[in-house]
Amino acid sequence: MSLVHINILIAFAVSLTGLLMHRSHLMSALLCLEGMMLSLFILATLTILSTHFTLANMMPIILLVFAACEAAIGLALLVMVSNTYGTDYVQNLNLLQC
Amino acid sequence: MNLFTSSTLLTLLMLITPVMVSSTDFYKNNKYQHYVKNMTLLAFITSLVPMTMFIHTNQEMLISNWHWTTIHTLKLTLSFKMDYFSLMFMPVALFITWSIMEFSMWYMHSDPHINQFFKYLLIFLITMLILVTANNLFQLFIGWEGVGIMSFLLISWWFGRTDANTAALQAILYNRIGDIGFLLSMAWFLHNTNTWSLQQIFMLSQNPPTLPLLGLTLAAAGKSAQFGLHPWLPSAMEGPTPVSALLHSSTMVVAGIFLLIRFHPLTENNKLIQTMMLSLGALTTLFTAICALTQNDIKKIIAFSTSSQLGLMMTTLGLNQPHLTFLHICTHAFFKAMLFLCSGSIIHNLNNEQDIRKMGGLYKILPFTTTALIIGCFALTGMPFLTGFYSKDLIIETATSSYTNAWALLLTLTATSMTAIYSTRIIFFTLLEQPRFPPLMNINETDPMLINPIKRLLIGSIFAGFILSNSMPPMNTPLMTMPLHLKLTALTVTTLGFVLAFEINTYSKNLKYPYSSDSIKFSTLLGYFPTIMHRLSPHLVLTMSQKLATSLLDLTWMETALPKTTALIQLKASTLTSNQKGLIKLYFLSFLITMTLSMLLFNYPE
Repeated sequence: MSLVHINILIAFAVSLTGLLMHRSHLMSALLCLEGMMLSLFILATLTILSTHFTLANMMPIILLVFAACEAAIGLALLVMVSNTYGTDYVQNLNLLQC
Repeated sequence: MNLFTSSTLLTLLMLITPVMVSSTDFYKNNKYQHYVKNMTLLAFITSLVPMTMFIHTNQEMLISNWHWTTIHTLKLTLSFKMDYFSLMFMPVALFITWSIMEFSMWYMHSDPHINQFFKYLLIFLITMLILVTANNLFQLFIGWEGVGIMSFLLISWWFGRTDANTAALQAILYNRIGDIGFLLSMAWFLHNTNTWSLQQIFMLSQNPPTLPLLGLTLAAAGKSAQFGLHPWLPSAMEGPTPVSALLHSSTMVVAGIFLLIRFHPLTENNKLIQTMMLSLGALTTLFTAICALTQNDIKKIIAFSTSSQLGLMMTTLGLNQPHLTFLHICTHAFFKAMLFLCSGSIIHNLNNEQDIRKMGGLYKILPFTTTALIIGCFALTGMPFLTGFYSKDLIIETATSSYTNAWALLLTLTATSMTAIYSTRIIFFTLLEQPRFPPLMNINETDPMLINPIKRLLIGSIFAGFILSNSMPPMNTPLMTMPLHLKLTALTVTTLGFVLAFEINTYSKNLKYPYSSDSIKFSTLLGYFPTIMHRLSPHLVLTMSQKLATSLLDLTWMETALPKTTALIQLKASTLTSNQKGLIKLYFLSFLITMTLSMLLFNYPE
């Protein structure tokens, strides 16, 4: 593994840790989710370019499309939570019904 | 050919004629009553012919008329058995019915349905005679049920009165319980001896097991008001006095005893049944005599007296003396019917007053009724050489000199003295002392339709014992020697009873007791038997059935068992498992740790 790959992988790992160990805001989880998507995109593009696997050039672009949708849904959920509670603290999410 | 067959059948046919006439216009006539009474009189005279023939030549007869049906090997015919018992009983029953019919022409004079009353009495008489002359159990059962039905119809004659309806139903129910025993014996005899006709039964089962005889004893206990099935008899006094005189003193209630007398060839070989009959009879006679001591209704005292005498008859059967029992049936019919007729005369003359606490001083006012009542009571208690003596004294003598149960004997002797006690009570309260009824009563006993029947039965009460016991051919060797004290037992206890009762009545007639003692409550409430059997056990059964149906079946099994339990389990489970508290950070943290650990493990597997 070259150093570049390890760099990007560490970025991914840091974003993952940030997603799973956020403190109080749901927004930070969503931001870390975006960070994960970004690092995955960079990793995929670099690997494809360095191995000249041109046929797989579609994959990062499609990954980006789905990341955008996912971000939209995440933001919609955040807005709904914020409508109910006023803030987006995760400790409010302790009821199993709406 | 002598007149035996024809006069027997003529007797029975003569009685059916007035019943058949009842669909015509003659039934609505006032002469119908005279017609029925005269028919009964003629039937009585006609039935004297076979009886005299029997006394003279010991000729018995079996008349088998009409072959009804044959079901496989069971042949059912219409057959009449004219033997010792039926030949002697028929004239007695007809004589008493004749007298009672004449009496009821006076007693029921103002009743609008008097013709129907006479028709019912006649149908009762016919069914009773069918019972008495039956040669097979089927015909006997027809007569048995017939007398039961007529008893029901006649007890509830004044059916507007609730008590009368209740009493009639009670009579039917208690008789039905006895009928179970009858049907059991019929089934046993059919199964084991292939017949219902008496001759074949006696030939084929000389030593029958206890079961059929037990059934017959149960039937007799139901029909003849033995202990355990006795309450219907005092309740049956709701019917008019002629009904009480005919059915419930002379004829119907002896049907059960008559059945057992008919089966005496079977019972004389079975010691167990004899002991049972002895004990049952002794218990009945004492129990009902105790109950009679404190009753206040004159008809109820006489009813309990009947029940006590029936117990005595059952005891005699237990001593293996069927012919003596039969003699007691015949003699008892005379004086008991007369006692009822006298009480009817008193009741009607005092404007339908039946409570002896409101009678009194009739000694001078109704001389003829007084005479008849006193003689009847003496005959009942067994005064020497009146009618009752010839049967009752013989029974006590036989009991004291038999190798038998001493307890039963003791009970019988106590009951004998109690007979004297309650007879004294009747005489004392109705006839002696000062009058206790309202002064403006028109009392007269000049009507010949009242006097003649009582006169005839009076002559019967005095002489019939002598005539019958000297005419009836002896069937077993009489007892010749016995110690003097045993011979005088019955007389002694009776005299003791008379003296005791008279003393107590005289000295305590002006006293009143502040609290009822336990013994008097036992006697007045008829031994608590109706209270327990009629109220307590139905209440318990109905409560238990209600609890079973409602609580157990409906509420528990149908409602709670599946539906509510399932709901309860779901509720508990959902409260248990729904403990998500929304600890998102904890869940994410555990996910991270798991991922890290797994990556470490799978990437560095040494």
